[in-house]
Amino acid sequence: MESTFNIKETLRNFKRRLPMILIMTLLFIVLSGVVSYTLMKPIYQASTQILINQNGSTAEFNTQNIDANIQLISTYNVIIKSPAILSGVIEELKLNETVKTLNEQITVSSTEDSQVVTIDVEDPSMERAVLIANTTASVFKEEIQNLMKVDNVNILAAAEMPVTPEPIKPDPLLNMAIGAVVGFMLGAGLSILLDQLNTTIRTEEDIEEIPGLQVLGIVSPVKDDKKAKKPSVYIQKREMMENVEKDKIQSVSTTKIGGTY
Amino acid sequence: MLKKIKSNRSVPRKLVVRTNSNSVITEQYRTIRSNINFSLPSEDMKTILFTSPSKEEGKSTTSSNMAIVYAESGKRVLLVDADMRRPTLHHTFKMSNRLGLSNLLIKKGRLQDTVKKSGIPGLDLLMCGQIPANPAELLDSEAMDGLMNLMKEKYDLIIFDSPPILAVTDSKILANKCDGTVLVVNTGKTEKENVIKARDALTTAKAFIIGTVLNNYQVSKKDDYYQSYTS
Repeated sequence: MESTFNIKETLRNFKRRLPMILIMTLLFIVLSGVVSYTLMKPIYQASTQILINQNGSTAEFNTQNIDANIQLISTYNVIIKSPAILSGVIEELKLNETVKTLNEQITVSSTEDSQVVTIDVEDPSMERAVLIANTTASVFKEEIQNLMKVDNVNILAAAEMPVTPEPIKPDPLLNMAIGAVVGFMLGAGLSILLDQLNTTIRTEEDIEEIPGLQVLGIVSPVKDDKKAKKPSVYIQKREMMENVEKDKIQSVSTTKIGGTY
Repeated sequence: MLKKIKSNRSVPRKLVVRTNSNSVITEQYRTIRSNINFSLPSEDMKTILFTSPSKEEGKSTTSSNMAIVYAESGKRVLLVDADMRRPTLHHTFKMSNRLGLSNLLIKKGRLQDTVKKSGIPGLDLLMCGQIPANPAELLDSEAMDGLMNLMKEKYDLIIFDSPPILAVTDSKILANKCDGTVLVVNTGKTEKENVIKARDALTTAKAFIIGTVLNNYQVSKKDDYYQSYTS
């Protein structure tokens, strides 16, 4: 096996196998499209925003205060996802889920240097996602008073049920794009593999590589324009040969040659 | 695949050179003729063997067409079907295979009676004849040497069509007796390894390898410079 990797040769090979590569690409696009539209369950997302604010008499807006709030928010982020809150949510909504699975559905995030915390809930049902998001916020609002003896959580924007819910997952377009890339790469890889496995003589260079041999010339494949005609002519001929006496064959064959060629 | 093998056995070889003397393929055969002439070390090389590593690579088609092209160039050519395992020449030219090389080798009949006119000026044909049980022994016999000398007297060029070289020993015997050997290779079908084996077999047989012919070579449209000249 030659170890030389010829880019030009590889490109030529790609060009020759372009139909296969294109078919592979299309196949994977269709496949990922079908899978994401039919097999994958849509996941919806609802989000509730809460504002955390140090209220009371010292509610002056100075930098120190806000800094303290922000540190507080990091703590709150953890508290929201703690079993203390989540089990309350499960209890209130009578969910079948465990704290752990609910924990995976909820994402808590806060924009940098702000006091706003966003609770994102992902669920196969839009309705349930809205419900969980809002309940989590309200349970948290109540529980924080017990836990930290402060009342500084306000619900800024409750999650709402949209008229036409748009699932966030799966994204068929993204999946199809990934499918296209994967399909193309598989096709290209396969064509390289097939090329490497093919050890037949294909170009004049293949022969010239063998010492002691030179190429005298090439012969192109003959285009078969009388495909249907030729075999039948031959069959008739053979049948004749069996029946006709041998002296007559000579004359028959000479006329045949003049006639057919 | 099955269909292909079947058709290859029954369909006569295509004599492109005869049917279409202006085609690209005919021109390719003429190029091969010139290249063989340039490659031959001396003028008095009279016997050329066409063989290939494996079966169905185009030996018979190439040798038949080459014989016609040589006849066109004004030579007296004899085309011999030395493939005594699977003769095809009588199919190609649509003739009887009752008398031929095998009869001559067991000393039945004379060369001048056994050869047939091909209908092409300058080209005579020697069929295989009845398929013998011991082709290799027949080809290796003194009768064969005598017959070849007789052929050389009567013709300017004798072209042998032979069995695949890696399958049976016949071709090695013939290659040793002939002045030059042309290896026919089927593009995209012949394994590189087999070509090397065939070359080694020919070298062992002390044959003079003139070169190879790439059969079934799909010329890409870009570098097809013949096309614009002829069509």
